[in-house]
Amino acid sequence: MKVAYFSPMPPEKSGVADYSALLLPALEERIDVSVVRHGRKRAPRGVDVTLYQVGNNPDAHAWIVDALRRRPGVVVLHDFVLHHLVAGMTVGRRDGHAYLDAMEAEHGVVGRLLAHGVLDKRIPPLWESRPEDFPLAGFVLGHATGLIVHSDYVHDLARAAGYEQPIWVVPHPAWPVPDVAPERVSPGPAIGCFGVVNASKRIPELLRAFSGVRQRHADATLLLVGPTSPGFDLDRRLQRLGFADEGIVREGWVDEQRLWALMAGVDACVNLRHPTMGETSGSVVRSLSLGKPLVVSDVGWFSELPGDVALKVPVDDLEVETLEAGLELLATRAEVRARMGAAAADLARRQHDVNRVAERYVSALEEAAGGDAVADAVLMEVSEAAADVGISPDSAEAGEIAGRLAEVELG
Amino acid sequence: MRIAVLRPQVPFSRGGAEIFTDRLVDELRVRDYETELVTLPFKWYPGARVLTQAFMWRLLDLDEADGNPIDVVVATKFPSYLVRHPNKRVWLVHQFRQAYELDRTELGQFGESTEDRALRRKVQDLDRVALGEARRLFATSRNVADRLERSTGLTAEVLPHPPQGLPYRCTGYGNFVLSVNRLDRAKRIDLLLEAAALDSSLEVVIVGDGPDRERLEGLARERGLDGRAHFAGRVGEDELAELYGRCLAVFYAPVDEDFGMVPFEAFLSEKPVLTTTDAGGPLEVVADHRTGLVVSPDASELARAAGWLRDHRDEAASLGRAGKAVAAEVTWDRAISRLLA
Repeated sequence: MKVAYFSPMPPEKSGVADYSALLLPALEERIDVSVVRHGRKRAPRGVDVTLYQVGNNPDAHAWIVDALRRRPGVVVLHDFVLHHLVAGMTVGRRDGHAYLDAMEAEHGVVGRLLAHGVLDKRIPPLWESRPEDFPLAGFVLGHATGLIVHSDYVHDLARAAGYEQPIWVVPHPAWPVPDVAPERVSPGPAIGCFGVVNASKRIPELLRAFSGVRQRHADATLLLVGPTSPGFDLDRRLQRLGFADEGIVREGWVDEQRLWALMAGVDACVNLRHPTMGETSGSVVRSLSLGKPLVVSDVGWFSELPGDVALKVPVDDLEVETLEAGLELLATRAEVRARMGAAAADLARRQHDVNRVAERYVSALEEAAGGDAVADAVLMEVSEAAADVGISPDSAEAGEIAGRLAEVELG
Repeated sequence: MRIAVLRPQVPFSRGGAEIFTDRLVDELRVRDYETELVTLPFKWYPGARVLTQAFMWRLLDLDEADGNPIDVVVATKFPSYLVRHPNKRVWLVHQFRQAYELDRTELGQFGESTEDRALRRKVQDLDRVALGEARRLFATSRNVADRLERSTGLTAEVLPHPPQGLPYRCTGYGNFVLSVNRLDRAKRIDLLLEAAALDSSLEVVIVGDGPDRERLEGLARERGLDGRAHFAGRVGEDELAELYGRCLAVFYAPVDEDFGMVPFEAFLSEKPVLTTTDAGGPLEVVADHRTGLVVSPDASELARAAGWLRDHRDEAASLGRAGKAVAAEVTWDRAISRLLA
């Protein structure tokens, strides 16, 4: 089978580029993949399926969606909320009308009016202030002949948005663990938080919860690794909570090797999120591979992690208290960490192994290429047999047969 | 309790799955469960027929029969587990192997067209959905359970079953190695014939029939095995038990077999089993120099192993007795108690 593959690729700095760099060798062992050069708008001729990796970053993905809109194909949806991408492809190209149309298509007249407000600078850009309320996924879904998603959560969102084509849930692949020496940042218990430091990663809540843990366990350390988002005043927050000199180890952007070393050196990882854009977390997948116990927000894909792998913190009035209890548990109970860590490593092997993921990709692509012909053949034979015994297409019996076909995904 | 045991049938063909399900029905009835065998013909070609024939199971209503509820259904083999039932238990003999490990081998069925590739995936989808519905999911061997986990992510409990009931006994350790199997390529009887060609004192008796018989008989003639390779065809239960009882050892080395009852039958006759490192399920009970001999799938190694047993009959008997202890652990009482728990 021949597949045209649209994706950002290294050296582009993009999570999806890293993802494709990991996945492609395993895919190429199984099928004939032709990676389309950045900026090309057309797939090569003679391919059976065209595959588009789509995320929310317009710099990385606008050209891919341009190609998708010319030739529909299977879309790998890395984020469900695509407002930022759509804004980049419309407002960013000085095409305000297209933005108005996109908002109206999915959110009606109210959407159009709000979009006018954004264009007239009467309200803050929705892609920054409320993207989760206006995901604009239809901009892409309308051209997708099938979807590959990483979670049941996004699967359900797509269905709720009225998407009726096939959807395959394929886990995010795990990177092989490199041979690095763990880098410990403290002799006492260390909790690591890896990724961009900002409010949507619940860093304020994390700092408050960890401050509570520190009051009872002065030897505990929180390692924060990742760049700080513009406008997020981390230093002031640290000062206010009394973390000025100790308790927190801060690292900005680090390269991949150092990231692994630091992650390998902590006792547990915390990865919080709200709101979620339907994304998975490469950082969480890495920590699973390392067999680290996790604390996550009970939202989106993160909710789907098994309970024996991750402590899940609801985003509610008791978020900080629940988080504090979870962090304390993992900071102080080695046997809990060992049990959860073993379950995490097992999950990485079973669900996120890159070869298994590639196999599921191929399965999805093979169904995308030939599934319609198979479905037609099945329906033809079943409907002929039904007609032979006098079952008419609009009868209750035909409805029951259709229901049974749907149950086993044959109709 | 009323139980329906479900089994697809390939008309005019009978093998291990049929023996197993017939026996299961008998054993359930002996234990006072009202039990019925439900079968439907299954033809898996051409094209999408594998799906439409499988789908017939989905149209069955086995919730009740003649106004009386059916409490449990026990499905065994693709596609019988497509049936709908609130208390569906699956005791998996095997999936549709052409869609899995036999794909792109000479035993495969699906070609390289996009339609054939999608067809194969649809079979896998059926498994994922239908097996995922089961209230309890068992596999007859670790090999079958592992394949299932790899292909669908579903976890099955391993639940082996005893072999057919024969008047098993041991009357000595004769000069011949016995093969009991359907004669098709995957069973690799030719390996045994090639071994006999390398060792002029090795005699073999081949029980069973199948599409590969003519080729195997031709091979035996070609290798000059007349008189040392006897094709017994299908034999009755008494004759089979008698052959098991007299033989030196039992050869059983299909490619990546699901489970295979032959090793258990050999063990109950106190005979060691000769198998290969790639035989799959049999390796769960045949341990090298404990209950048999395990060699690489190579005729000369197999010939050497058979020769060693001939030269060490006391050890052969000892391996056979150890096998009998393994087989004695697998009883219908235990199996049925777990199946219905």
